[in-house]
Parts: sequence; structure tokens; C-alpha cells
Amino acid sequence: MGNIQSISYFLPELMVIATVVVALIADLVYSDRNSYKVGYLVIAGLVVASFTLWLSLPEETTPIFLNTIVVDPFSRIFKFVFLLATFIVVLMSMNSDELKGVRTGEYYTLMAAMVLGMSLMASSVDLIMVYLSIEIVSIISFILAGYLRAQVRSNEAALKYVIYGAFSSGLMLYGLSLLYGLTGTTKLFQLSGSISSLGPGSNLTLTVSTILMLAGFGYKVAIVPFHFWTPDVYEGAPTPVTAYLSVAPKAAGFALLIRFFNTLFGTGQPLNSPVWQAMEGVPWQDILMVLAAVTMTVGNLVAIQQKNIKRLLAYSSIAHAGYILMGVPVLSQEGVYAIVFYIIVYLFMQLGAFSLAIVVSNRYGTEIIEEYSGIGWKSPYLGFFMAVFMFSLTGIPPTAGFIGKMYLFAALINGGSQFYWLAIIGVLNSVISLYYYMRVVKVMYFQGGREKDLYVPGGMSAAIVLAMAIPSIYFGVRWSFLADWVNSSLKFFIAGF
Amino acid sequence: MVDLNTYLVIGALLFSLGIFGVITRRNGVAVLMGVELILNAANVNFVAFARFGGMDLSGHIFSLFVIILAAAEAAVALAIILNIYNNMGTINIDEADQLKQ
Amino acid sequence: MTIGVTINSLPVINSSTSMYRDFGTSFIFVLIGIILVAVPLLLQRILSPRRKTAEKMSTYECGEDVEGPAWVKFNIRFYVIALIFIIFDVEVVFLFPWAVVYKELGLFAFVEMMIFLGILALGLAYVWRKGDLEWVKYSVPYGRGRYRKLTIIEETPASPAPAPQETAA
Repeated sequence: MGNIQSISYFLPELMVIATVVVALIADLVYSDRNSYKVGYLVIAGLVVASFTLWLSLPEETTPIFLNTIVVDPFSRIFKFVFLLATFIVVLMSMNSDELKGVRTGEYYTLMAAMVLGMSLMASSVDLIMVYLSIEIVSIISFILAGYLRAQVRSNEAALKYVIYGAFSSGLMLYGLSLLYGLTGTTKLFQLSGSISSLGPGSNLTLTVSTILMLAGFGYKVAIVPFHFWTPDVYEGAPTPVTAYLSVAPKAAGFALLIRFFNTLFGTGQPLNSPVWQAMEGVPWQDILMVLAAVTMTVGNLVAIQQKNIKRLLAYSSIAHAGYILMGVPVLSQEGVYAIVFYIIVYLFMQLGAFSLAIVVSNRYGTEIIEEYSGIGWKSPYLGFFMAVFMFSLTGIPPTAGFIGKMYLFAALINGGSQFYWLAIIGVLNSVISLYYYMRVVKVMYFQGGREKDLYVPGGMSAAIVLAMAIPSIYFGVRWSFLADWVNSSLKFFIAGF
Repeated sequence: MVDLNTYLVIGALLFSLGIFGVITRRNGVAVLMGVELILNAANVNFVAFARFGGMDLSGHIFSLFVIILAAAEAAVALAIILNIYNNMGTINIDEADQLKQ
Repeated sequence: MTIGVTINSLPVINSSTSMYRDFGTSFIFVLIGIILVAVPLLLQRILSPRRKTAEKMSTYECGEDVEGPAWVKFNIRFYVIALIFIIFDVEVVFLFPWAVVYKELGLFAFVEMMIFLGILALGLAYVWRKGDLEWVKYSVPYGRGRYRKLTIIEETPASPAPAPQETAA
């Protein structure tokens, strides 16, 4: 579809772009003290974009802008995830003490620009677009991680992020160049056709190029051999940014990973079992299964030793990336369905845990878990909801995390007997994770004095926590609404055009 | 009279040198130079494939985008390194270790 | 087939050997270059007398005494200007392919490019307004924010420097 006809399909993204431009201009006008007002503009822009996204109901996959990106239900649901996560994080940032006293106009503008990058990640079907969108998201993440310029911790987080990020995107780019050389096209749909017609002689090149590309994707979603940046960046960055980075770009990375590998190594049939058989002799499913197992095990085992709540949540987010990755090698509609469902649930519980960490840090000035002692009694509000998020992250019924994990394991079990061992490892990991999540709850309730100051956080902070906690419980009891919505959004794969 | 393989070998050499630089250098700016080598290795590949492989123009376009994104990335990275230098007085990435317990 | 052999068959016009011929010519050229440099260096090493005194080993034997290391620090302003320049400079690369085919693409491409340039101009306005183009930072409207440290130094009453012209923000 040509450029002019494409515009009408691109309205939500155009709204985001307009938001960025308006926010940038507004930031030029506002003085330092009023700079935070850009946040309200961004929120308004995000609401408008969500509304236009709601109105656009793509029935099928429509390629737009000369077949570089597509509009389909699959990308639509991910765009909602990005908009929602950004919306919450902007609200969280406005109530964070860390960002008081710094000029935050650019901060909110960059977050809006990041929504654009992530939307493109979820919908790109051209190698150029893939690389471009990943870089948009990465570069903005670097700036956000180092936003507190006077703090050495924040600087250091940004430095580590930029070095790992630039390195792995370079690796991915080299892999993309080899792929282009093998097939002579950058369009994903044509690529899949060309790859299946390649002889066995190019298997080695294809393997090398895919491993290199996996390095780029793996860095974005922080799966294990490429996860080294995660704890340091998550600890050093401002807490709202950490919350953002652990949810939104990760979701975008998984969206891209699913679309990329399903389209590239698909043989035409929508999400059916022998999908990646184009590369015969290369055990892709096994590699991804091992990666998933290693990722969640490493994430959970290292999380046990953490003393800082941000670092704990960082390793737990690595473990969750491992859980989500379990759904990828199953290669069934059910697997992708479980992944999307889990990402939505994970958004609520992870952002909730972080928003609570911000409230605690604002009020009690600590990020160390041991110093959380007695908070459960001092402030029952914080204690109760932290327990909810920790239960949900572990996956204990009746929370949403349990339903998410249940779908993932169900997809594995239904996928066939070769996935049973992965499911067992996943269950074992959930048990391990119970230990360190419950430690937080234990410290809050069973350590320290039991004096009561009955602290309830201020209006907006309390509202964010509540808004995250309600879905974390509600989707654990009644999830059919969410399940139907996710299910209807998975008709994204088409053979080619 | 130079064929595709020559360019691919040059690209592979640049790629290896870039990885070598990233792994061995401790100076933040030198690491970035290694990354630039990797990006340019990919660029050489793209242009060579597009020129000799009888393919469409997308290889050339890809390399244009890579150049621009590399510049943007380098600008952000240098600004971060400059900031580190202002606060810590060093750009040695090994000495930035406040976050490890 | 070695290069030496190919050079012997220079008169044969043959497309398959012409690559070797091209390389052979440049190889001879490089060889002569190396010889021309190496021989005088070798000669002076053999012939010239050598007496190492402190005076002889200094950088400028009959000039000024060297002070300080060779790695001087440049003013940080140069980096900021250079970074800004790089960004805007590289974006121009998109203009070249556009300019080549712009007549065929017509009005729509023109509008597209103008939007692109407009966003770039917004970036420039941003940089300008934030004072990153100013050489002297404290006279910009945002002196209090981004370049706060500079203003504070100027504001100390004991400072002998002339009072900065503070534009009211």
C-alpha cells in the first residue's frame, strides 16, 4: 500500500508523534518549575492515541507504507500494552521523589517517543524497520537510564546500558546483513520464501546470522547469555525508569521476536507445528528451550541473594523473561496466546511492585529489603498490596500470575512430550521464586517493631497501587474477558502477498 | 576488478577487529570505536551485497539508516561518557563499579 | 600463481590476468616507495654519529622547552558543539536520495521532506533555546537550570568577575 493510503491506518502512531512534537514545543516554553506539566500533555496525548487505537479495528493483516510495517490485531494488542505501561509510568514518575528537582519536560517527551518506537517494533515486517525501531527504543532507554545526571549511580547505569546495547545491536546488524546477503531482500514475508528455497549449503551462514540476531533480541528481552546489563542498569536507573524498562521494551522485544521468527522460519501455515523446519538439522526448538530453562533458573537463583529491592525485581524480571520464552518454542497458537496473556498480567504485577517500591522509598527512604522490616504493621496498605504483588509474581492462586503461568504450562503440556521437562523446570523455578518473594513479605510482617503509624500514601500513589492491584487479583478470579480479547488478536500470521 | 568476496572478507575483518576492541579495551571511548567498527562491517556487507548480488536498492538504503543511527547512538554514548567523566573523573569502564556489592 | 609470474606476462592482454596486472603495478609502486624511504633511513643510521645528551633528546632542540603532557584537555564546549553538528550533519544524508528523484515523486515527497526538515528544525530550536549553542552559558534564559553551576559561581559576592547579565527567566 502506498504512502498516502497508509496514513489512515497509522493514526494512533501519528497521534503519538503529534504528542511528542507538542510536548517538545511546550517544553521550550515552560520554565524549570513548570516543566513537569509536559507530563500532563503526554498523558493527554496517550489517551487520544489509545482512543484512536480503540477505534481502529484491523480485521486482518494490512501491510502499509510500502510493506515496511503491518497493521494487525497482534500489534494492536501490544500497542495497548505499551500505551498503558507508559501511561502508568508517567503517573508514577510524577509522584516519585527521585525526579523532584530535575527538569522533567524532556523525560516525558522521551517516554512518548519511546511508545512510537515500541509500536513500530511490534509491527515492523522489514529488516530496516526492525533495526530502526530497536534503535529508537534503545537510544531513548539509554538517556532515560542516565536521566539523573548528577548521580553517579544513574551515570553508571547509562554507561553500562549504552555499551552492552550498542554492542548487541551491532551484532544483530551484522546478522541482518548476512541474512540480506543470503536472500537479497529485506521484507520479512519475502525472506521466509527465500529461506525455504535455500540449499543446505547456506545452513552455516544462516545459523551464524540467526545466532547474531538472537543476540540483539535477547539483549532487548534480557535472556540469559545477554542479561549482564540488567541488574546494574535496573539498580542505577531512576525507579520509574526501571519499572518502565522491565515491562514495556521487554514486551516489545517479545512481540518482535515472535513475529520475526514465526514469519522468517514459517513455512506458510499459520502458527502450526512444523514451523521452523526450514532450517533442517539445526535444533532451534531445543536451543530456545535450553535458553528459557537457563534464563529462569539463573534469574531465580541469583535473585535469592539480592538485598536491594530493585535488584531483586531486576533478577525476577529475568526469570519472568525465561517463563515467557518457554512459550516461544512450542510454536503453537496456544503458545503465543499464553505469552501475550502473561505479558499483560506481568505488566500489572511488575509495575505494581515497582510503584510500591517508589512509595516506600519516598516515605522510608530505603531500597534495602532488610530495612523494610515492620512496614507491614506501620502501613497495612503498603504491606497488604506488596503481599498481593509478591503472590502474583510467584504465581499463587487466586492471583493473575497463577493464571498466566497456568496458560504457559498448559501450552507446554499440550505441545507434546518433548516439552515436559521444560514444564517441570518451570514449576521448580516457581517454587524457588516463592522463597525470595515471600522473604519480602516476611520482612515486612515478621521483623522489626510493630508500632503503628497507619501511613496511607497520598492520593495518586495510592491510586496507582490500587489500579495495579485490582487487575492482579481480578484476572486471577475472572480472566475470561482478557482471555477472549487476547485470543481474538492472534490471527496475525499470513503466508505472503 | 574486486569481487564480492573481497568485500565480505574486509567486512568480516572489521567485524572481528570491532569485537576484539570491545572486549579488550577498558576506555569507554575506545569501546565505542569498536562498536562503530562492527556497524561499519555490516555496512560494507550491505553495500557489497546490494552492488554485486544483483539485488534491489534496499542494501544501500539500509546502510544510510545505519550511518544515521550510528551517529545518533555515538552522540548519546559520548554525552553519557562525558557525564561520567564530569562526575567520576575517569572514563575507564572498569572503574565504574559503584553498583556491584 | 604468484604476482612475480604475472608481472613477467605483462604484455599479454587477458581479462583474467588484468586484475593481477593492476595489483602488480601497484605492488611495484609500493615496493619502490618502501625502498626510497628505507634506504636513506638505513644510510643515516650507519653513517651518522650519535651522541645522546639531554639537550639532543628534547623535542625542540633549538626551540622552546616543552611544558606539560601532550594530551591537553580541550574545552568541553567543543564536544557539545561537535555532537550537535554530527547529528544535524548526518541527517542531511536523507536529502541526497530525495533530491535525485524528487521530480518524479512530485508534491507528496516534497511535503514529506518538509515535515522531516520541520522536525529537524524543531530539534535545532530546542538546542538553541536550551543554550547549547551559546559559547558563554550564563547569559541564556535557562542558565539557572541546566547550567546552574556556572551561575552560582558568578553570583558569589566575593568574585572579582563582572556581574553576569542575568536575563530574567
